[in-house]
Amino acid sequence: MAVRFYRMMRLGTAIALAVLVARLPARADEKTKDTGSIQFARDIRPILSKHCFACHGPDETQRKGKLRLDLSEGAFADHDGRKAVVPGKPGESELLERITADDDETRMPPSKSGKKLDPEQIAMLQKWIESGAKWETHWSFKPIVRPAKPEIIHAEWPENEIDRFVLARLEREGLRPSARADRYTLIRRVSLDLTGLPPTPADADAFVTDTRPDAFERVVDRLLACPSYGERFARVWLDLARYADTKGYEKDLTRTIWPYRDWVIAAFNRDLPFDQFTIEQLAGDLLPNSTVEQRIATAFHRNTMSNDEGGTDDEEFRIAAVKDRVDTTAQVWLGLTMGCAKCHTHKYDPVSQREYYRFYAFFNQTEDSDRSDDHPLLPSPTRDQEQQLGRLGTELKRLRDELKRPTPEIREAAAKWESSLGQGANWTSPKPSVMEAESKATLTLRDDGSIFIPGVGPEADAYRITLPIDIPAVSAIRVESLPDAGLPKGGAGRSRDDGNFVLSRIRATLKRADGEVIEIPLTRAEADFSQEQFPVADAIKNSDLTKHGWAIAPRVGQRHAAIFATDRPISAGRGSSLTIELDHRYRLNYPGFSFGRFRLSATAEPSPKLPAIVPDPVASVLKIPDAERSNDQKQAVLDYFASIAPETKSVRDRIAAIESETKAIPIAQTPIFRELPKERRRTTQIHVRGNFLEKGEVVTAAIPSAFPPLPEGASEDRLGVARWLVDPRNLLTARVMANRFWAQFFGTGLVKTQEDFGSQGLPPSHPELLDWLACEFRDGGWSMKRLCKMIVMSATYQQSARVTPELRSRDRFNRLLARGPRFRLEAEMVRDEALAVSGLLSAKLCGPSVMPPQPPGIWQTTYNNDKWVTSPGEDKHRRGLYTFLKRTSPYPSMTTFDAPSREVCTVRRISTNTPLQALVTLNDPVYVEASQALARRAVCEGGAGLEGRIERAFRLTLTRPPAGRELEQLSALYRRRLTYYQAHVDAAEAMACSEVGAAPAGTDRAELAAMTAICNVLLNLDEFLSRG
Amino acid sequence: MNLQTEYLRAITRRHFFGQCSTGLGAIALASLLGTTARSQDGARPGGMLPKKPMIPAKAKHVIYLHMAGSPSQLDMFDYKPALQKFTGKPCPKEFLEGKRFAFIRGVPNMLGTPFKFAQHGQSGTWLSETLPQFARVVDDVAVIKTMSTDEFNHAPAQLYMHTGASQLGSPSLGSWTTYGLGTETQDLPGFVVLGSGGKTPDAGKSVWGSGFLPSVYQGVQCRTTGDPVLYVSDPRGLDRAGRRDSLDTLRALNELQAEAIGDPETLTRIEQYELAFRMQVSVPEVMDISREPQYILDLYGARPGFRSQAEGADDPRPGYSGKDASFANNCLLARRLVEKGVRFVQLYDWGWDHHGISPGEDITHTLPIKCEQIDRAVSGLIIDLKQRGLLDETLIVWGGEFGRTPMQQNNANSSFVGRDHHPFCFTMWMAGGGIKGGQTYGETDEIGYYPTKDKMDVRDLQATILQLIGLDPWKFSYSYQGLDQRLIGVEGNAKVPPALLA
Repeated sequence: MAVRFYRMMRLGTAIALAVLVARLPARADEKTKDTGSIQFARDIRPILSKHCFACHGPDETQRKGKLRLDLSEGAFADHDGRKAVVPGKPGESELLERITADDDETRMPPSKSGKKLDPEQIAMLQKWIESGAKWETHWSFKPIVRPAKPEIIHAEWPENEIDRFVLARLEREGLRPSARADRYTLIRRVSLDLTGLPPTPADADAFVTDTRPDAFERVVDRLLACPSYGERFARVWLDLARYADTKGYEKDLTRTIWPYRDWVIAAFNRDLPFDQFTIEQLAGDLLPNSTVEQRIATAFHRNTMSNDEGGTDDEEFRIAAVKDRVDTTAQVWLGLTMGCAKCHTHKYDPVSQREYYRFYAFFNQTEDSDRSDDHPLLPSPTRDQEQQLGRLGTELKRLRDELKRPTPEIREAAAKWESSLGQGANWTSPKPSVMEAESKATLTLRDDGSIFIPGVGPEADAYRITLPIDIPAVSAIRVESLPDAGLPKGGAGRSRDDGNFVLSRIRATLKRADGEVIEIPLTRAEADFSQEQFPVADAIKNSDLTKHGWAIAPRVGQRHAAIFATDRPISAGRGSSLTIELDHRYRLNYPGFSFGRFRLSATAEPSPKLPAIVPDPVASVLKIPDAERSNDQKQAVLDYFASIAPETKSVRDRIAAIESETKAIPIAQTPIFRELPKERRRTTQIHVRGNFLEKGEVVTAAIPSAFPPLPEGASEDRLGVARWLVDPRNLLTARVMANRFWAQFFGTGLVKTQEDFGSQGLPPSHPELLDWLACEFRDGGWSMKRLCKMIVMSATYQQSARVTPELRSRDRFNRLLARGPRFRLEAEMVRDEALAVSGLLSAKLCGPSVMPPQPPGIWQTTYNNDKWVTSPGEDKHRRGLYTFLKRTSPYPSMTTFDAPSREVCTVRRISTNTPLQALVTLNDPVYVEASQALARRAVCEGGAGLEGRIERAFRLTLTRPPAGRELEQLSALYRRRLTYYQAHVDAAEAMACSEVGAAPAGTDRAELAAMTAICNVLLNLDEFLSRG
Repeated sequence: MNLQTEYLRAITRRHFFGQCSTGLGAIALASLLGTTARSQDGARPGGMLPKKPMIPAKAKHVIYLHMAGSPSQLDMFDYKPALQKFTGKPCPKEFLEGKRFAFIRGVPNMLGTPFKFAQHGQSGTWLSETLPQFARVVDDVAVIKTMSTDEFNHAPAQLYMHTGASQLGSPSLGSWTTYGLGTETQDLPGFVVLGSGGKTPDAGKSVWGSGFLPSVYQGVQCRTTGDPVLYVSDPRGLDRAGRRDSLDTLRALNELQAEAIGDPETLTRIEQYELAFRMQVSVPEVMDISREPQYILDLYGARPGFRSQAEGADDPRPGYSGKDASFANNCLLARRLVEKGVRFVQLYDWGWDHHGISPGEDITHTLPIKCEQIDRAVSGLIIDLKQRGLLDETLIVWGGEFGRTPMQQNNANSSFVGRDHHPFCFTMWMAGGGIKGGQTYGETDEIGYYPTKDKMDVRDLQATILQLIGLDPWKFSYSYQGLDQRLIGVEGNAKVPPALLA
């Protein structure tokens, strides 16, 4: 009964749908799409993907009713006699039955999914099944095949192949291309596109008057050869590489990684083929005999953030960085969002969670581990620095050799020193008669005279030791701390967590033979080493025993000694005994900072020196009689002596000076990739639900199975992955890159969703053109300059951007390309253009990032005291891509113009239009300075007349000459402002000079101020802030 | 026909200008171009223009008070007499095993609060003596004792709280709000950020960033020194009349361009310059609290022109004073902004990270100073909004990014008292638009370690806020990277507790 009911319903629906299909309106972005027969990849798959794959897609764990619709086998499969799709038979297709069902229980997609098919989509599916349900692989997963040349009517229009594809489509749509843009527009467009800078009026005039047939090509070739070409395209790549000058997260400390930025600029300028460009960045370190440059290139993936926040788990953030590398690699080269598969199998694209971690395994073997020093680093000195290093190195070697070859005088002094060591035994360490601890701990005497108390100490303790002495007087007491393996952390103290001790106080009393007891006034304290804020003097003068004392962290594993001396010797004599009390009262919420092993001695010698602590290897040589020592042993003693002798001090001081001079050379240390040695390779496990603490199955490195395997002979490591990405059989890389370049010139990619070539992304507007470009790029030696040139040489690119009412209604977003592209300039170009036209822009290439003026109080990062200090000289006026980029607080005016903070890979900047942007170009001192400088230029270069000056400013900013009415508007404003400034001298001075500095002699302030107002208008024109 | 001929005709742009008709205003142009404001790529049509809520809204505005560093719930809201008894005793093993802490190592001791607690208002809400003024408004407030988060380090936890993701790159709550609802006044930014405490939050500006949404939705930081909004002041030497005159010329030239090229984007640009001109007046005006009468200033503890010592200090915390009016001034500004129609006001107050490592991080001494800085201010904000009839349409949210441990942090070499980060259980409060005040929501165990009843996750809080302002937490999404991205996450595991709603 129910079945019949559905059948009837379906029949009714089918008729209604047939009517609908017949007058199917085109939709939004697809308004531009070819009408005609239904194509699976273009029309059907997106519907299934959006509405069905979440439950009927690649993810097994989420799959409902065992039905899988992302593969034809699934859609056509027999499920107990029912099939989702029966080609040609909509009536028998369960899919259609379910999507048209009336009751909520049965209808798909389920209402609680929040998804709904509209009648158009249902009609589309119906029509597709009726017409045979032809199944195709998702377009971007099909091999790239060079498409046939399309047939066109207006064969005279195309300049190159690109135009044939564009025109074929336009002719199908009944549209005509626009006229070519005028030459002023054209040179401004192509200059901004290829170099990020506007042409000079002279460049423009030369082009406009050039009658040679290849005039435009000459301009293009010249621009491609400019170093600013590399700067312009580096900017694009740096968004993908998430390049920034800080590490991100809480502290966001500075990171030196600009050598990578400079590598990118140079790579574009020398037109490094994209396959090599890829391999060096992903795996330059793994290339045989890799150069410094190739290893600097691997900083591409060291641009990941690292977290220096206190109390963070380094492994957690190392893993976050590796995942970011995987996701970024997939985004940049494959145009896929693999990141979804971190937590669960991808719902839309064919990457299972297991495959994600197998791909991740390739990237999981580098040495970096979220350390705060960004290890491993590669020093890359500049040529000057290299020379300086060479000089210093030679001098250092000479001095070190000098120390190694002692003069006879030094030999003699060494012998004297050694014998003095023997004589220095004026410290006495008799066997104690009393050894007790407040805590009742057992104190054991060792053979070397040291006292030992094992294990962790109590919260507080005090030792009382009595030494029977036989010396004429006591002038000092020595306390030696001796590290011992039987104590916590192998230190000399009993503190549980760090093996440290804190000697809160030392006191001593002397009992003479006659029974008289005298307190020994200890007034001077000296130690070979004291912990910061725990000086040895605290032990004889202490305001709060629970807070202060002598301690020795972080050198807990070494021997130390302290002496505590009196001002004058206290007479003692035979039969005296010395009682020493050591207090350990330091309080912390973990125990126990008392001594674990120490030795006490006394001396009668007035003002004794701190005992020399000869390091163990030398000390053991000294025990051997001189005659029996080997040559090496002799040299060891001499070397040691040379390192402490007063006679060699001047040489040592010079060595120290050279060493610190060497250290002070600001050599860039760039974080790079380095593969772990074999024995330290990591095992990769699946992170259950993406949580790195929940480790699942162990996996080995592999390419996801939906893609072609690693190319023949490629190694199974990162280098293999890099080669695989640029292998001719790779389905995506060439398409993704061709599309990315296209978007730079047209504002939008042929695939609008540049970031998603997967099944959720939008299909290409011109699929054949995209594949043709991809073939040209891949088979043309991966030359990026060649690709750029091909695009700008097309008639398509050179069309006028003028929008006719017809075009606006037919193709508002210019997806059909019946007109030239016009779009808003990006953040860096807005800055660069203003600086360039005003003559302020520095032409300096590369080097450390710079800090142009920024309002005070912008940087307030927690636990980070870095300051924004405006760069001096021409560095104030460098191109935008050199501006220091702090991730948690990027340069404000860049952010306002939609520049990303580069924390993660940004494939596509979304351009916005806000009043805050207007405030930047109207009022930011950077732009005020540009207006003032441009005004001076106009006055200086534009002749004596007003029109000439305004025309000069106009041509500098907009390239083309002004139209009459434009000149009128500007002149009128100028005259009104001039009247004002002639009456307001101070305002004139400020308007003309506030940022750029005093006016040149002989210039009229009011005129300059009025001209500044004109220039401020010019720098804010829509035409100036767009490229059309 | 021969297309080449067409090309030859169009040698220079003067050609177009020659054909143009004259003197059309932008409005006439707009109709000529068949559009008013072109929708941005990815932006909702109309940009910041007010939009109808998806579902019936209880609140029109949000004031979110974030205490960066995370205040100690156990010393302010969650009264635990039992914990007092355990003070100084080692923490039981079951609370430590399998747990990760930021700084605690080994076995710490338990720490009861040094402050006295009492019940207040008709609701009998428990508060410590650190919040004497807040006691006056508890009957308008829902104290949520059972908040719980997934993150235990500041930056990730702040990101999770504000953007729903602990990794960077997702839009903040304020961005989602203006994306969904636009804002009521075009003369002011729709999403305003105000800071105090001397530092920005640990996660930096990303906590008010627009993530993958268009940057038009990012928060605009209003500052109390220098330009209140960056570059809002005209250059020196340019008077207002001169600016107007310049803008009129700019507009005329842009209109010529629009006629010649026909790009609707040019018209949007003209519109944005007019908005900027109005903003130059309205921003300084709204930011000037000296226009408020003294009794209102007193209500908040606000002081016009106050400059905090904390500003610009490398470590501002040792210099904190309870009389610091920065936060109070910001609360008053929040009311002024909301009154003018600003959709979302976000306050960040830094310096609540009381680990007990240094003098500025001591529970006994510094926490009361921070409490004094906010106590009168937040109470004044609630009272003032209420007396103006704005509390019903303004949702106020207060809290940190996580809580603090019932254990004392065992710091080496420190005599200060502090607590470590505690993600499992902490207190936040909400008041105003759509919230049922005068209640304490949820129960915690006897030492305040875990929620025992009505646990509220960060996602639940986010869902509750969205629902109250009229955005369906499950259906409100933005397509990015092939997924329908939502504030509450793609999985959508969140609930809105009915008991919290009025």
